[in-house]
Amino acid sequence: MKAFEYATAHSVNSAQEMVADNGQYIAGGNDLLGLLKEYIVDPKILVSVKSLPGLDRVETGSKVWTIGTNVTVAQIEDHSAIRKTFPGLAQAAAEVGSQQIRNVATVGGNISQHSRCWYFRHRDVLCLKKEGDMCYARHGENKYHSLFTGNTCISPVVSNLAIAFAALDATAVVQRAGKPVRMSMAEFYAKAFENPTAHNSLNPGDLVLKVEIPTTRTHSAYMQTSEKHEFDWALVSCAAAANITNGKLSNARVALGSISPVPHQVDAANEYLEGKTLDEATVTHAADMILHGAKPHEHNGYKVPMAHALIRRTLLKLNA
Amino acid sequence: MPDPANLSWPKETKYISKSTHRVDAAQKLTGKARYSSDIQAEGWLYGMILRSKWPAAKITNINLEKALQIPGIKAAILIKGNERTVRYYGDEIAAVAGTTKIACLDALKAIEVTAEPLPYVVHEDEAKKPDAPKVWDDAPNLSKPKVTEKGEVDKAFSECATVVEGFYTTQVQLHHPMETHGNTVSWTDEGLTAYASTQGITSVKDGFAGSLQLEQSKVRVITEYMGGGFGAKFGSGVEGKAAAELSKAAKAPVRLMLTRFDQGLAVGNRPSSFQKIKLGASADGTLLAYQLDAYGTAGIGGGGSSEGGGGGANFPAPYIYQIPNTRVSQATVAINAGSARAFRAPGNPPASFGMESIMDDLAVKMGMDPLELRVKNDPNPVRQKEYEVGGKRVGWKEKYKKPGSSPGVIKTGIGCASGSWGGGGSKKTQGEAQINPDGSVEIRMGVQDLGTGTRTVLAVVAAEVFGLKPEQITVKVGDTNYPPGPGSGGSTTCASISPTALDTCTNALNELQKQTGVADARGENWFAACKKLGVTPLVVQGKFQDGLSSRGAGGVQFAEVEVDTETGRVTVKKMTCIHDCGLIMNTLTLESQIYGGTIMGMGYALYEERVMDKLSGALLNPNFETYKLTGLSDMPEFDIVLINMPERGVIGIGEPSVIPSASAIANAVANALGVRINSLPITPAKVLAALGKIPAPVS
Repeated sequence: MKAFEYATAHSVNSAQEMVADNGQYIAGGNDLLGLLKEYIVDPKILVSVKSLPGLDRVETGSKVWTIGTNVTVAQIEDHSAIRKTFPGLAQAAAEVGSQQIRNVATVGGNISQHSRCWYFRHRDVLCLKKEGDMCYARHGENKYHSLFTGNTCISPVVSNLAIAFAALDATAVVQRAGKPVRMSMAEFYAKAFENPTAHNSLNPGDLVLKVEIPTTRTHSAYMQTSEKHEFDWALVSCAAAANITNGKLSNARVALGSISPVPHQVDAANEYLEGKTLDEATVTHAADMILHGAKPHEHNGYKVPMAHALIRRTLLKLNA
Repeated sequence: MPDPANLSWPKETKYISKSTHRVDAAQKLTGKARYSSDIQAEGWLYGMILRSKWPAAKITNINLEKALQIPGIKAAILIKGNERTVRYYGDEIAAVAGTTKIACLDALKAIEVTAEPLPYVVHEDEAKKPDAPKVWDDAPNLSKPKVTEKGEVDKAFSECATVVEGFYTTQVQLHHPMETHGNTVSWTDEGLTAYASTQGITSVKDGFAGSLQLEQSKVRVITEYMGGGFGAKFGSGVEGKAAAELSKAAKAPVRLMLTRFDQGLAVGNRPSSFQKIKLGASADGTLLAYQLDAYGTAGIGGGGSSEGGGGGANFPAPYIYQIPNTRVSQATVAINAGSARAFRAPGNPPASFGMESIMDDLAVKMGMDPLELRVKNDPNPVRQKEYEVGGKRVGWKEKYKKPGSSPGVIKTGIGCASGSWGGGGSKKTQGEAQINPDGSVEIRMGVQDLGTGTRTVLAVVAAEVFGLKPEQITVKVGDTNYPPGPGSGGSTTCASISPTALDTCTNALNELQKQTGVADARGENWFAACKKLGVTPLVVQGKFQDGLSSRGAGGVQFAEVEVDTETGRVTVKKMTCIHDCGLIMNTLTLESQIYGGTIMGMGYALYEERVMDKLSGALLNPNFETYKLTGLSDMPEFDIVLINMPERGVIGIGEPSVIPSASAIANAVANALGVRINSLPITPAKVLAALGKIPAPVS
C-alpha cells in the first residue's frame, strides 16, 4: 500500500473536485482496501463520501423508492419495508460477505466494486484488466469465471445488489461532470462487456448518488449458490421480479450474476414470461432461453446447470 | 499415600476424566493472554520478508541499498545470499526491519533483484512428463518409487470373487493457523531471546542455536500463548533466523510475523496424492489382495535436496485393514511450489480417503453393507467396539440405503470411515512443582500450550494429587528456562505431561508431608501443612514415568449429508465421532480437540485446496477469500462419543480426530448420489460433473 491523503467531503461538488484525476472515493472501503494493499490502485487521495448529506436514507414512494448511495447493505437486509416490498433485494443483501462486511458496505460501493478475478487481484500477475497483454483466466484457472462476455476478459460481475436491482429495473443516478446521469443496470455495466479494463461504465470521478427502484413489480426473489454456506461469493446468483395477477406473470425480469461481466439478462426470455403461469415447464423454457449461447471454459461448465436450476428456483420462489 | 515407585492413576477422581473449563479462559477472552504476535518489546521494529515473484529463476544480484535509504528502515539482510536459484513463487529472498509497517512495505518495493527467469512446472501431472522443466538440476522430478510387496498379489487377485479399481486424488492443503508463523527476536551480546509462535520451544531453541551458531545457554525461547501450529511450527524457520539477523543488525528487537499472503506460500502444507488402487475380496467380503500405485507432491521438497522441506508425499498403505497380499508403489513428484511439512496426522487423511473410498466401492459392487465390510476386515479390537457403538448411535441399519436411492432433488446419504494413530509419551519430559508457604502452587514445565488446553491438563493433575481445585494451581509453561517438556506434535503432549505431572506432584506431596510431619497434607489440611514450611518454598522435580500412558488410538466417524443434485452443493448435516484415547484427562478440552479435528477434516473434504497457476507459476489463492475454510454456517450437528479406557493410560487425540472426517463425508456423498466423487475437495463443480450434467467447453 502506498501513502495517500485522506479527506472527508461534505458536498458532492467538493467530493468530485477533491477526487479529480487521481483520487478514489471511499465509503465502506471493503473493495478499495484490498486493491490498495495489493498495489492494484494507487490513488493520491481518498475522499470519504460517508458524510455527504441526504445520501444515507431509504425513501419510500408510491411509484419509486430511492436508496441513497451510503445506505449500508445491512440496512437493506434488515429494512422491514424493503423486505416486504422488494424481498429479492433484501435477500440479495443478506448474502453479501459477512455481517461485519454488510455493516459497513454501502449500496454505491457494492455496485461499483471491481472484479474479484484472482488474476486481477493478484499482486504479481499483470492481466488484461491491468493493461497486461492476456486474459490468464481464459486459458488458466477459470472455475469462477464468465459464461458470457463481449471481450477477451472473462471476469464476471459479482455485485449481489446489482443483480437484484437489474431484475427490479432499478436506475442508478450518477453524478457526472456536474450533473446527474441516470443509468439502468445494463447501462451501468455495459462498458465492462466490451472493454476488458472496465469493471463498469463509470468514468473517473463519477459518483453514484442513489438507486431508484420502481414499484412496478410486486414480487421479487434472489438466490445464489456458493461453495460455502455463508461469507462466500456466489458461483452463480439469480434475481427475478414480476407482477403476478391471478397467477399470471407480467413485467417479469430475470437477471444473473457471476456468469457475465454484466448482470446477464435476456429480453426474449422476459418477453416469453409475459402472461405465463409459473410452472415447471415455463421456468425450464425460460432458463433454456436465458442460458442459450453460454460459452463454458475448461473449469466453469458447472455454472450452466447451476444457473439453470437457480433460474427455475428463483422464478418459482416468486409465488412464495 | 501414593507410592512414588509404583505410580498409578487414581481410580476415584474429582477432576481427571471430568470436565474442567480452561484455566486460562478468562485471560484469552479478555485479551490479557499475550500471544507471540502481541509481544511489544522495548524499541521493537517490524520485520518483513521479500519473496520471489518468479516460480523459478536464477538470481544474479540483489541490491539492498535503496531499501536502506527509506526513512525508518534500520536493517536489511539477504536470506540465502546474493547469487542463487529460487525454485518457487514465494521463496524468501531478503528481509527488512523498520519502525513502521509502511516503511517496511516501501523497502520491500525498493529492493532491486536482478534475475533470469527459468522454466517451471507447478502441476503434478505436468511435472511427471520426461520433458518437463526440472525443479532440481541434479534429480528427476519424479522420484524412484518406493515399492513393497507382501504375499502373492497377482495370484490372490485371480482368486478374488470381486475386484474393484479406482483412482482417488487429494489436494494440497495449506497450513493456516489463526496466528501466522513468526517471532519477536532480540539478539544482543548477552544472548538471544525469541518470543516464538511455536509448538516446540525446545526445538526452536535448538534451531536458533544451530543456525546462528550460538551457545544453547544463550538462547531462550518463550511462548506464553500461541494460535495454533498443526505440525508447521516446530522450527525456528527462515523467518525466525531472519528476525534474529535483523535484530542483530538493527540493535533492536524485531517482530517478524508472516502475513496471511506469506502463510499461503512458504510454511509447509499437506502433500497431494494421486492413488490408483485395486482391491479384491472373497465372496464373504474377506479382503485378499490390494495394490497401490501412488504419487503426490511435496512441492520443491521432492526429487533433489529438500533443504529441510517436508520430504516425500508417501502415506501408510494399505490403511488399517488386514490384507494378506499387498503391493505398494509410492513416488513423490517435485513441482515449483512451497514444500510440504508435517500436517496434523501426516499421511493419514489421504491414506484414509483412498482406502475408505475403495472399501465403499467394493461393498457397493458386492452388494454388502460397508459397515459390515469394515467390521469383517478391521483387526483392531477398539475400533470393533467403535463400529458397534457408532452403528447403533447413528441408526446405521435404518439409515444406510442403496446408493443413489434417496428420492428427490436433494439427496441424503450416510458414510463411515476410520482412522488410526500412534502417539505415546516422550520419556524425556521433566517437571517442577513449587509449593509456597501460603499454600499457593506453581507447576513449571517447558512445554507449550498449542491451544489444546495443556495448562488445564497440568492443573487438573496437580489439583487431583493435592486435593485442591484446578484454579488454585498456577501453571507456568512456554519457557525454555523451565524443565524441558515435549514438542506438541504427534499427539504426544498429553501423554508426556500427564505422567510427568503425576510424578512431580506426588514427589512434592511426599516431600511436603515429610518436611512438615503432616501425615496427609491434601485437601482441607493443605494450607495448614504449607504454613509449616516457614518462609522457604518447597521446589520438587519429577519426570516421565512408564506405565501411565500408552499409544495407539482409533476412531470411527459417521457423516450424514445432503447433496443438492441441481446445484451440486454438499451440506454436512451431522458428524458422529466415536473416539478412544485411553484415560481421558479432561473431557471438555478433549471434545474440543475432536470438534477441531473434524472441522478441519470437513475443510479437507469440501473447501480447502491450494490452486497453482500454470500460466504465471504463482499461487492463486493466498488468502481466505478463495482458500476456503469451514465457517460457522457450514457446521453440522456434532455427536461425540468418548470411549474412556483408563486401563490404557493417557493417549493423545489431536491427530486421530482429523483422519476419518473427509473419508466419511465422501462416502456419505457417494451414498447419496450413487456415484463417487473420487477427488477432494468435493466442490459443486465436481458433484455436477460426476452426475454428468456439465456441457463440454466451447472455447
